[in-house]
Amino acid sequence: MLDTVREIETPEGVALRLRAAGAFGRAQAWLLDFVVRMAVFFTALGIFGALGRGGMGLASMLLFALMWAYNVVCEVWFHGQTLGKRALGLRVVSADGTPITLLPSITRNLLRVVDGLPGIYGVGLICSMIDPSGRRVGDIVAGTLVVHANDLPAGSKVPIVPAQPLPLPLDQDEQAAVIEFAERSPLLTVQRQEELADILYPLTGSEGTAAVKQLTAYANGLLGRP
Amino acid sequence: MQLERIGVALRPRTSQEAMDLGMAMLRAHARPVWMAWFVFTLPIFLACQGAAWLLGMPWLGLLLPWWLRPLFDRIPLYVLSRAVFEQTPTWRATLRAQWKWPWKRTLAALSYLRVDTNRSLRLPMEVLEGVDSKQRRARWRVLSRPLVGVASGLTWTCIAFELAIALSLCIFAIWMVPNETLPDSMRDVKQALTIPAFKHALVWIASGVTYVSMSIVEPLYVATGFALYLNRRTQLEAWDIDLAFRRLRQRLVEAGVAMVLLVCVMGAPSIAHAADKHADDKQVPPQNIAEVFHQPVNDKDALFASKAADVYRDPRFGQEHKVLRWVLKHPADQEPGKPPSWFAGLAGFGNLGAGLLNLIFWGLLATVVVALIVFAVRHLRGSMPSMERFEKPKVLRSSVVHDIPLPEDLPTAVRELWREGHRREALALLYRGSVVRAATALRIQPPIDATEADWLQHARTLDDPARRERLIRIVRTWQLAAYADRYPGDADIDVLLSGWPAQQVAP
Repeated sequence: MLDTVREIETPEGVALRLRAAGAFGRAQAWLLDFVVRMAVFFTALGIFGALGRGGMGLASMLLFALMWAYNVVCEVWFHGQTLGKRALGLRVVSADGTPITLLPSITRNLLRVVDGLPGIYGVGLICSMIDPSGRRVGDIVAGTLVVHANDLPAGSKVPIVPAQPLPLPLDQDEQAAVIEFAERSPLLTVQRQEELADILYPLTGSEGTAAVKQLTAYANGLLGRP
Repeated sequence: MQLERIGVALRPRTSQEAMDLGMAMLRAHARPVWMAWFVFTLPIFLACQGAAWLLGMPWLGLLLPWWLRPLFDRIPLYVLSRAVFEQTPTWRATLRAQWKWPWKRTLAALSYLRVDTNRSLRLPMEVLEGVDSKQRRARWRVLSRPLVGVASGLTWTCIAFELAIALSLCIFAIWMVPNETLPDSMRDVKQALTIPAFKHALVWIASGVTYVSMSIVEPLYVATGFALYLNRRTQLEAWDIDLAFRRLRQRLVEAGVAMVLLVCVMGAPSIAHAADKHADDKQVPPQNIAEVFHQPVNDKDALFASKAADVYRDPRFGQEHKVLRWVLKHPADQEPGKPPSWFAGLAGFGNLGAGLLNLIFWGLLATVVVALIVFAVRHLRGSMPSMERFEKPKVLRSSVVHDIPLPEDLPTAVRELWREGHRREALALLYRGSVVRAATALRIQPPIDATEADWLQHARTLDDPARRERLIRIVRTWQLAAYADRYPGDADIDVLLSGWPAQQVAP
């Protein structure tokens, strides 16, 4: 099955699903960061410009900090998110899903020198297109990963109807599918709802609107409602 | 469409994730996509260049391939839309299918919709669904409502990607070409631009580079748009739920419970409810199986048996497995467990080898044990003499330093000691006696802390060369004995003992 998820199993047997982010979101986040940094730099340049040659020195130092320290500081102390990544819902984590630490962050940002070749991120772009987890060279060397951090689009609350227990035990995935149906059915057209509910005729023993109601009742039962 | 055959994990995704899925799809089917892509686009690209050359308008070679992109887009879309349902077409099939695929919308995309930032999303809807114009407009509204911003963002990002790749290629090429190899006319760009041939060459190079970067990014653009389309339809039509329900239905039908259930559905809920209420009343979780059933349990109990059967029906516990296995058609031909005769010989050989190996390993173990014992014994024995050797000099020193009065007849005492084997003591006595007599001869108080070196110095002040020589020799002999454990022969001792200082000779 084709997916962008990187699955990691912890020693406790918990499967963590890291939704790896590819080149599109990352490029947009980088562009946003770039714009923000340039805005800060040129504003500061306007202020420092009044200070003459000393001001130019300060401006160069600021530029250096924005180029090299901004990413590291944001990643290590602001939950792996620069401003651009925050806006795009991305986050830098270690390859095993733990929060990124100082050294990997420094490594991945120093290697922007390589990824940036030849000055417009050509190497990084091609690398993240080829890598299955969308990593650039810096990520591969530092053992980090950029993931989607924002929540998945969820359906509405399951409509409250009197609960009914399932007539026979179902697998966890199957129970999840029933609940998912009840959550998302308000987003579907009525015809589609009935079409879907009809598939489960062997379970509900009814068709059409009745089947939809029946499944919603099962979902209420699964959610532990009275 | 057969949803069961879809090769993409369907789940609710954000549109950002859907775009990444497009990249993953392209990565998985890279070979067929690009194969068909190059077979289709390369001749068209070359034809455009040829036309531009014939017409003498090089810029046409840059413009035409760009304009024809909606035409090129059909190829990756066709391959991917089949490949996600695991029917990857060959490039021949892809090209042949282009005749049958609807052209109307492609023509629209090539003309009045050419500059449309939603092309990637519009393409799969128009080409794959093929509905008439009125329905299409309504469909487009539904489909694109939350995605218009994302789709234009995608277009702009892809333009940026193409620019980045094209520029990277050019910059790398410039870096790789050494400046010295350039002809003089090209050293100075300003001057070179005045040459028309150079300007034309630049346009040719640009169209070549754009073709390469387009070949990388355009299939990605189409794949991403297709993934956005798939994700939107998954949202609108709940494809993932559809798939899960179909799988569940399949399982139920296979288990043959459908008919039984119909009966249960009518009667069961009230019973189940009662059971649930019962469970709710009791807050303390049951401690053992007898508590669960509120009575002692044995295998023949009907309630227990039915509950156990229920548990086994749960797919997490009891499941029927179908196991395929090869079985001999004519098992009588060869009695099982009795190998053929040649095999017995082989087995005997194998047993022999095993026995040999066994022997070798036991032998190795024995050798190691013996070696350890020998080592231990040698080590213990080796450490004892070394301790003795350490103590011996102590004893010696005490005997040497011990302040005994000098004997009257020094040579006799020395010889006696020498003959008895106490060579060291003998030489010590000789040395002590000699230096005392030398001090008397020199009329000095014998210094208590005088070293051998001091006595050598004193010896050099003696007037008589023969005496001087002998005293020096005695001191040297003693030094060699005391510090290097080297002893003179018997004859040498006789020489040392003759005359002064060993013999009392009148000065």
